[in-house]
Amino acid sequence: MKTIYFILLISFAGLSAKAQSILLSKNATVSFFSSTVVEDIEGKSSTANSALDSKTGNIIFKVMNTSFQFKKKLMQEHFNENYMESATYPFSEFKGKIIDPVDFSKDGSYTVSVEGTLNIHGVTKICQSKLNLVIEKGIISAKSVFRIKIADYKIKVPSIVFKNIAESVEVRVSAVYQPKTI
Amino acid sequence: MRLTPLYLRILLLSLFATMTLSSFGQDDLEKALSAAPSPGHQKVSATFKSTKLINGHTNETIYKNELEFKVDHRFGDIAGSQGGIKQFFGLDNSTDIRIGFEYGISDRLSIGLARAKGATNVQQLYEGSIKYRLLEQTTDDYIPIAITLFGSNTIAAVSASEDPASAAAYHSFKDRMNYVSQIIIARKFTDGISFTLTPSYIHRNLTAFRDQNDLFALGAGARAKISKRMAVVIDYFIPFRNSADKAYLQGINGTKFYNPLGIGLEMETGGHIFHLNFTNAAAIEEMQFIPQTTSSWLKGQYRWGFSISRRFSFNKK
Repeated sequence: MKTIYFILLISFAGLSAKAQSILLSKNATVSFFSSTVVEDIEGKSSTANSALDSKTGNIIFKVMNTSFQFKKKLMQEHFNENYMESATYPFSEFKGKIIDPVDFSKDGSYTVSVEGTLNIHGVTKICQSKLNLVIEKGIISAKSVFRIKIADYKIKVPSIVFKNIAESVEVRVSAVYQPKTI
Repeated sequence: MRLTPLYLRILLLSLFATMTLSSFGQDDLEKALSAAPSPGHQKVSATFKSTKLINGHTNETIYKNELEFKVDHRFGDIAGSQGGIKQFFGLDNSTDIRIGFEYGISDRLSIGLARAKGATNVQQLYEGSIKYRLLEQTTDDYIPIAITLFGSNTIAAVSASEDPASAAAYHSFKDRMNYVSQIIIARKFTDGISFTLTPSYIHRNLTAFRDQNDLFALGAGARAKISKRMAVVIDYFIPFRNSADKAYLQGINGTKFYNPLGIGLEMETGGHIFHLNFTNAAAIEEMQFIPQTTSSWLKGQYRWGFSISRRFSFNKK
């Protein structure tokens, strides 16, 4: 029995030591805006997940496509059914790295560059953006705004609604990270 | 103390956890994310695109603060004794026309108002309806089916017939009332294939002599996507008639009852839904096409029909 406790102890010790640099955000928000003369479309998800490794600067954002909420419910249905094909591609994901050095232990506000890959609708593209980091008493908040072209991700807009949907949409992401607890 | 399976499990789990976390780079983050709790039972959306297949209802309702405007049209027989080139394959005649509005009070409850011509001698129909989503299917099959309840009251405004055996021989206002109740059971099997089963009960306060006031029927329907915005739709109803009354009715005027079968193409263009269909049912309202379809596919008495619907949203948020 003692051996088991010992093994358990060791494994947990290893776990926490490794996990300390990883920060999680379970209620990150991802929203996008498409604006045309005819119609403004906005989708927002507040249940995106993000993880940040403060040691390596690696960062991941992952959002379930069906979690985007729209002003018009029918739009949400069309978004999932016709454009994102959420049954086939359930998640959109950004995997990247903060290029500029950041001291996560120090309070302050930083604007850094992030580089990585963005996967939407089964298409992976290289994506670069500025990230605004605010560190206050160990709590890290991150915000970024960037634009993507929907054609890049093979999302087809039929000619009949071409005027309603913008060619490029603005994406806003924000997350507040809590140190990972097990 | 013996080593119970529980201890073993904890041991294994923690070992795995240590191993996975000791790998480098992005994998750590991905593992950390996958440990995040899943959002629970997700509702299946868009089992059907429209509130109706061809003749029958689907489990879909109108979302909150949205209004659907729908026009249904059925032309005359394409072939058979009433069809052919002389009637331009039915386009010269219209057996029934329906104009309806449906409004979503909540995402689960919608109400409707409609006016239909009526295909039998019971005409000038006003329909009030209510539709409620009782159960919604979830993606993880925690709830494997969707159930929607439908109820309607159709009032015939046609002048009373002098023939006492007629279905329109009204004596009082309540004779003009007709009720339909349906339990719509639906399941989306794959992303592109959905089915419905619809036990139905129809009550007509006044019918033709010896026709049934109360009638049970079973409907079935399906939708299969052929492209992102197009689907094939089909539906069928079996009314359970009293055989003695059926024989009497068929004996007096030589008309026969048939089960309504519809097949069509559905096109969706972001807010608009178009249906092009063929059906032997001449009527559009449930209280008529289920008990009183007297035209047969095999005799060429099927017709071209269409429906156009447009949704408007009043959400201002």
